[in-house]
Amino acid sequence: MSFFLRILIFISFFNLSYAYSPSSLPSDQLTRFQTLTKEIRCLVCQNQNIADSNAPLANDLREKVFTMMSEKKSNEEIKDYLVKRYGEFILLQPRFNKLTFILWTFPLIGLTCVLFFLIRFIKPSGK
Amino acid sequence: MLKKFIPFFILFALIGILGKELFYSKPNELPSALLGEDIPTFALPDLFKPQKLFTHKDLKGRVALLNVWATWCYACGMEQSMLLKISSEYHVPIYGIDYKDNAEEAIAWLNQNGNPYVMIGNDKRGDVAIDLGVYGTPETFVISPQGKILYRHVGVIDQAAWDETLYPLIKKFGGR
Repeated sequence: MSFFLRILIFISFFNLSYAYSPSSLPSDQLTRFQTLTKEIRCLVCQNQNIADSNAPLANDLREKVFTMMSEKKSNEEIKDYLVKRYGEFILLQPRFNKLTFILWTFPLIGLTCVLFFLIRFIKPSGK
Repeated sequence: MLKKFIPFFILFALIGILGKELFYSKPNELPSALLGEDIPTFALPDLFKPQKLFTHKDLKGRVALLNVWATWCYACGMEQSMLLKISSEYHVPIYGIDYKDNAEEAIAWLNQNGNPYVMIGNDKRGDVAIDLGVYGTPETFVISPQGKILYRHVGVIDQAAWDETLYPLIKKFGGR
């Protein structure tokens, strides 16, 4: 077997080790892939997103996102799929819904309370 | 007089709530919204006879366990004796999904340590595991006779988990 053939076979095996190749995407889709994977939490290394993580599960989830993108699924559909299986926790930025209602509105409620107490209990001085 | 203590009540309530979250919450336990829903459709090659398929339909008919495991997973080895006990003493059928594993090693391992499974699907790429929302092995799902997911157990099944949670649930849904 010629040397070059061997190299070629070696390279083709090397390529096979990647079941998906986001870098082959058109640039707008690549940006979408990169943004989306940054919004999804790596579950086995919980303070990382799946774009930054080398954990096998993160790799599988990236692949899943890639596959779903090639199936022309929308970002919402992809996120719904993941949330259904792994819970709201998988999204690094929680969405606004029944479960996260308190989370999102608490700062506003807290601020209102503080303002109320300030107005109610602090008397103007000097009188 | 009582009014003076209101801020303290609020403070203690807050400390109570935060303390409970700090000491008693299980941040590694993720909820599964798949509970009560049909098991995702899948078709995997059988570990022992790759030309045969193991599908979601095989799980229907009676309460069954679906256990996701691998030979490279240390905790799965610890669970093995309990699974053997479940299949031989409690007669609950256990189905397996061999997660991202080497088939020959898995077969050799089962021959050596005993095989509690009725049927095992070989999930080489881990697709079915993701469809099930698996994030670490071992994970075990309790499947109703109608093929719905009743419960998801993350981690090793020990006697306590079996006696307190899994077995009562199986009995409730008509398993033995």
